[in-house]
Amino acid sequence: MKSSIKLIAIICTAIIFVTANMAMAQKAGGPWTIPAKYKAMKSTVKAGDASINTVGKETYNKHCKSCHGTKGLGDGPKAANLKTSTGDFSTAKFHANSDGDLYYMSFIGRDEMPNFEKKITDEADRWAVIGYIRTMKK
Amino acid sequence: MKKIYKTLRFSVLTLFALVTVQTTTFAQEEAAADTTVMEKPVDKPVRPAFESGLLFDAATTTMYSAKTLEFVLQHRFGIIDTKDDNFDLAGIYGAANIRIGLNYSLTKKLMIGAGTMKFNKMTDAQLKYNVIEQTRSNSIPVTVVLYEVIGIDGSKETKWDQNPAADGSSTYKFSNRMSYYTQLLVSRRFNDQFSLQAGGAFTHYNRVDSVYNHDRVSVSFAGRYKFSPQMSIVLSGDFPLDIKSLYDFKKDPTATTVVYDKPNLCAGIEIATSSHAFHIYVASAQGILPQESTMWNKNDFFNGGILIGFNMTRLWNF
Repeated sequence: MKSSIKLIAIICTAIIFVTANMAMAQKAGGPWTIPAKYKAMKSTVKAGDASINTVGKETYNKHCKSCHGTKGLGDGPKAANLKTSTGDFSTAKFHANSDGDLYYMSFIGRDEMPNFEKKITDEADRWAVIGYIRTMKK
Repeated sequence: MKKIYKTLRFSVLTLFALVTVQTTTFAQEEAAADTTVMEKPVDKPVRPAFESGLLFDAATTTMYSAKTLEFVLQHRFGIIDTKDDNFDLAGIYGAANIRIGLNYSLTKKLMIGAGTMKFNKMTDAQLKYNVIEQTRSNSIPVTVVLYEVIGIDGSKETKWDQNPAADGSSTYKFSNRMSYYTQLLVSRRFNDQFSLQAGGAFTHYNRVDSVYNHDRVSVSFAGRYKFSPQMSIVLSGDFPLDIKSLYDFKKDPTATTVVYDKPNLCAGIEIATSSHAFHIYVASAQGILPQESTMWNKNDFFNGGILIGFNMTRLWNF
């Protein structure tokens, strides 16, 4: 009798542990609703522009790296504290997003993804960041 | 001067073009005149010369976007005591000074702030105004900012009542508590790594002990070298000047008055993230508020007068 109570206690603890972990696991972000104005946007910084690996990289490292990681794999030190997964910038699916889509997601944001319009105020700098993120594609 | 010349040249050319158009409008067989108007190229301001608006104890020319709230925490440990029998863990066990404050950017050009400090229980009000901004085309080569700090000493009235009137009545007035620091700052961002800043300041204390002056002029210099995207080495110095025309008491050369005339020298590291800036540094003044450091510093940086400092700022955008 004593041993079966022990067994039930262990099983209950295991179920609670697994359930709690699943509840606390990060969820992938749902699809974005991007206004037409942003969808139509095109980058003013061409691929290979010098600003991508200077301004773009520096700005990404300062504002984005702590959550998104050095290579955009979503493994930054603050990522684990978020309820929503920060995504993977190396995938082809991510880079299928248009320039304007990436612009909206990066600088307008939603929920746990902050708005960076007041932190990165220069339009050319913003496109340099997008250009830098584009270099993370595998 | 260069901007005035460019504006004048643009105006003259525009006038010429307009006159030419008017002439061709009334002509019958003349060829069309050149009506091209010289367009003024769009000129953007440079990126900030410093990552943070705080420079150890004072200010940089960096301004934030409108509606930005900045929380500031400044901490200065005690003097590092190197005597063997006075171990103080590099001043950490010693008497420390702390200031906390909030700054709010009303516009991109104007910031106001308030804070309170442990030493002298001093409350302060601050204002920073951007006069002109350095541009990327170098048409304006520097950024100029005006910085004002008004301090209100929160000590007991007896601090100013040590010399009562002839009839024994108190000579204390609330205005005795006030001090003012007015500074003009000029900075230049030379490139993404290197920036320099210089400034001149006037400090005034409404009431001081009879053997000290009310006013002091000082000059300051600061430089930063950014060696990684988020880290910089920053050096600064605030040098009080000995201007005899500002003396308002007759100095007794035989008096043993403590002399407060040492510069505040600071050297350290700045770490800047998206929302935070951290300073870890050594300094020679413990006053934190710039008027306190300018007027009342007797620590010699090169003769045992070093203190460890730590600052932290946090930004919120609304």
